[in-house]
Amino acid sequence: MRIVLARVSLIPPQLFGVLLVTFMLVRLLPGDPALLMLGNMATPDAIASLRQRLGLDQGLWTQFVRYLGRVLHGDLGTSIFTSHPVVQDLIERAPATLELISYAMIVTVTAGVGLAVLSVIARGRSFDYVTRVYGLAAGALPDFWVGLLLIFFLYHVAGWAPAPFGRLDTYLTAPRAITGFYTLDSLLTGNWADLGSAAARLVLPVATISIVNTGAMMKMTQTVFAGVYDSAFIRHARASGLPQRRIIVIALKNSLPPIITTAGFLFGFLLGAAVLVETIFSWGGLGQYAVQAVINSDYPALQGFVMVAAVFVLLVYLVVDVLYELVDPRIRI
Amino acid sequence: MAGEDRSTTLEVDHLGIAFGAGAAEHAVLRDVTFRLGRNEILGIVGETGAGKSVLAQALVGLLPGDGRVVQGEIRVNGRPLAAMNERDRRQLRGGAISLIGTSAKTLLDPVETVGRQIARVLRAHRPCGRRAAWRQTVQLLGDVGIIDSEQRARAYPHELSGGMAQRVVIAMALIARPDIILADDATLGLDATVQVQVLDLLVARSRERGVSVILITHDLGIVAHYCDRVAIMRAGRIEELQAVQGFLAQPGTAYSESLLGAARARPVPADHLSTATQRLGDAGEAVAPRGETLLVVENLQKLFAAGAAQPPLRAVDGVSFSLARGETLALVGESGSGKTTIGQCLLRLLTATAGGMRFDGIDIAALTERQFRPLRQRMQMVFQEPYVALNPRWRVCDLISEPLRLLEPVSRRDRQARVNELLDLVQLPRRLAEAYPHQLTAGEQKRIGIARALATRPDFVVFDEPTTALDIRVRAQIIDLIRSLQVRTGLSALFITHDLNSVRSLAHNVIVLNRGQIVERGETETIFARPQHAYTRLLLTAELPIEWSASRRSGTPVPVLTAERGASARR
Repeated sequence: MRIVLARVSLIPPQLFGVLLVTFMLVRLLPGDPALLMLGNMATPDAIASLRQRLGLDQGLWTQFVRYLGRVLHGDLGTSIFTSHPVVQDLIERAPATLELISYAMIVTVTAGVGLAVLSVIARGRSFDYVTRVYGLAAGALPDFWVGLLLIFFLYHVAGWAPAPFGRLDTYLTAPRAITGFYTLDSLLTGNWADLGSAAARLVLPVATISIVNTGAMMKMTQTVFAGVYDSAFIRHARASGLPQRRIIVIALKNSLPPIITTAGFLFGFLLGAAVLVETIFSWGGLGQYAVQAVINSDYPALQGFVMVAAVFVLLVYLVVDVLYELVDPRIRI
Repeated sequence: MAGEDRSTTLEVDHLGIAFGAGAAEHAVLRDVTFRLGRNEILGIVGETGAGKSVLAQALVGLLPGDGRVVQGEIRVNGRPLAAMNERDRRQLRGGAISLIGTSAKTLLDPVETVGRQIARVLRAHRPCGRRAAWRQTVQLLGDVGIIDSEQRARAYPHELSGGMAQRVVIAMALIARPDIILADDATLGLDATVQVQVLDLLVARSRERGVSVILITHDLGIVAHYCDRVAIMRAGRIEELQAVQGFLAQPGTAYSESLLGAARARPVPADHLSTATQRLGDAGEAVAPRGETLLVVENLQKLFAAGAAQPPLRAVDGVSFSLARGETLALVGESGSGKTTIGQCLLRLLTATAGGMRFDGIDIAALTERQFRPLRQRMQMVFQEPYVALNPRWRVCDLISEPLRLLEPVSRRDRQARVNELLDLVQLPRRLAEAYPHQLTAGEQKRIGIARALATRPDFVVFDEPTTALDIRVRAQIIDLIRSLQVRTGLSALFITHDLNSVRSLAHNVIVLNRGQIVERGETETIFARPQHAYTRLLLTAELPIEWSASRRSGTPVPVLTAERGASARR
């Protein structure tokens, strides 16, 4: 508990750093938002007045201080492109992405760790070779290509999967927002039609992300788990006559710290990296929003996204640290 | 079981084990035959590579890699191991035969409390509730000499000392009430005092419970004190198998004789400094004037920070001594006594917290690192673990000639000549100059370490545990080598060790250290014959001389009676 508090107190200064760096970096992007908004035909006067209205004509520091003040009041500015408050845009889109990558993470970690454990136990047998080939291949597969293949075969050819357009069948209305996760919300409100549709629509994108990332997860776990599985205390456990299932659990418990780190890293990474998958499946999530913001030089939106991503990553790492201490009694932070 | 002879628990019949397939097949064990009686303690002795550990693994049916039984069979309580299915074999391991391995700390699951680890072994073999298993665990931990066992059962392995961890592993081996315990070098690397405590305990508990024990070791002192019979293994065969008393009196083979000879203490090399000088004079070599003081250490102190709230750890606490030219001084003590720290402070590998050190009149404590560098060729160290201290990517000739760079630049030919000279000095064949460290045996690595230290013709050498973890005969060879160096080169040496046998063979004077302080000092013979301090006496009683005597720590296998004797010997 003490460690959680200590960690949480570190978050504000870290956030400040993130805000400062992204604010500056975003300003380094080429492209003038005023010009983009008004189009090529705009007169220099119109551009100047828009720049003034957006505050772009002032010094960087002044802009930053004003921005910081607004952030502290929960105002991330107005998206230049969508004309909505950035906060509102983010609240609409974040749950979509979070729902997607949460399920993808569950599948990735379960499948990655499971395959790794099985392959180490079946060392030298054909299953081991299959996982090795997969491990190699998964590192080389682009996610959009996997996504397109899945759509082509499972939706277009076989017709098993629903259409890759959004999170819900078009004739359904979204469940009342509680968590923002359609699956959870529909479950909580007892909206079974929504639940089925949302779950079905999650299958392909989750599979896409998982197929691509399980390889890395599996390889890492294989290395760690194989090392532990050959260690003296596992041999001793076997010599003590513990059953095989028990031994696997013991070895897995000892392999957890690096697995947790990798999973935490992957979770943070997916937040932005799922963008191609989101695009293919018209998911309407954060990744798509961020890419649009970059293309349109939409500073407030981009900064908003980076801040949300930073908070998210910081929270994930906080959880990672806490879990670390829980699984390994030798670590006291 | 099966109506067989009730007094035999384990029968090994013409056992042969091989590794590798087809043409690459090589036998590791050949024609191994022995019987283990109920409540008997059998010692299996052999040098590295004799096949002792493979035998232990075969007995629990856990051969590594593609190792397999190619001949003969193993019967436990009359049941052949080969006829068992996987489930029976699992029940056998830990249920009928338990294995205790080397370095207990690595045998324990680091992320689970020791109590739960013991309890889960029990529950894997005997149907038993969680609560009951925990109760039995706590009780057994008390029985194996762990104080405050209820609380210690909740400790994690990293919170225990080596000796404690070994007790936990013993408890783990005993918990499911097996018939046989295999202890494979179980006390290797423990301090002598802890070693005898652990062995006393293992033997006492086994005698009490009627458990048979196989003690696999390379320490004949352990055999002389604890075993009823002894088997001598060499190159995968049992060369000799007889009662310990008979073996000690009259070993059956030349090999056994050489082992025993190597293990027994050698008389002190010379009657102190005077005779040593005499010998040097006889050899006709240049001898430094006698009695001249080479090294003086005054009130040396080294503190290590132990964390924010705790007081610093006093590793070396006000140690003073002096060393004469040509003298070998032994620093003796258990791990944590500060003996290695003193050696490292002398060579400035660690910076002393306080105190004075004068080497040949030069105050080395006051020198800067740059000023100290030229002195390094006169002061050298032989490190404890030779393999770790040798760069694995260098050949032996590079390793030996590296220190020569401290000296004036020399031609390639001179360097080559010096390398050969040094190889001769440490009695290694010259062809090894092209070898890499991993191609050498432990004894050869030790010798390379010594050759490296001697390369610059130092006046003073620190030997850090030169004889630990070596096979009996190799250890004797290293002792002989150092003795010949003493005579031939008039070496002044600080000899850091906990191996009292080698101290007796090598040192002129002894300093006994405990917790960073000197508790006793004097001439080697005097200290060994008439120790004054209680701690010195404790160290000496922990030594296991290789003689059959009434003071043996475990008598003949009369269950109840010997258990009591074992327990009383512990106090």
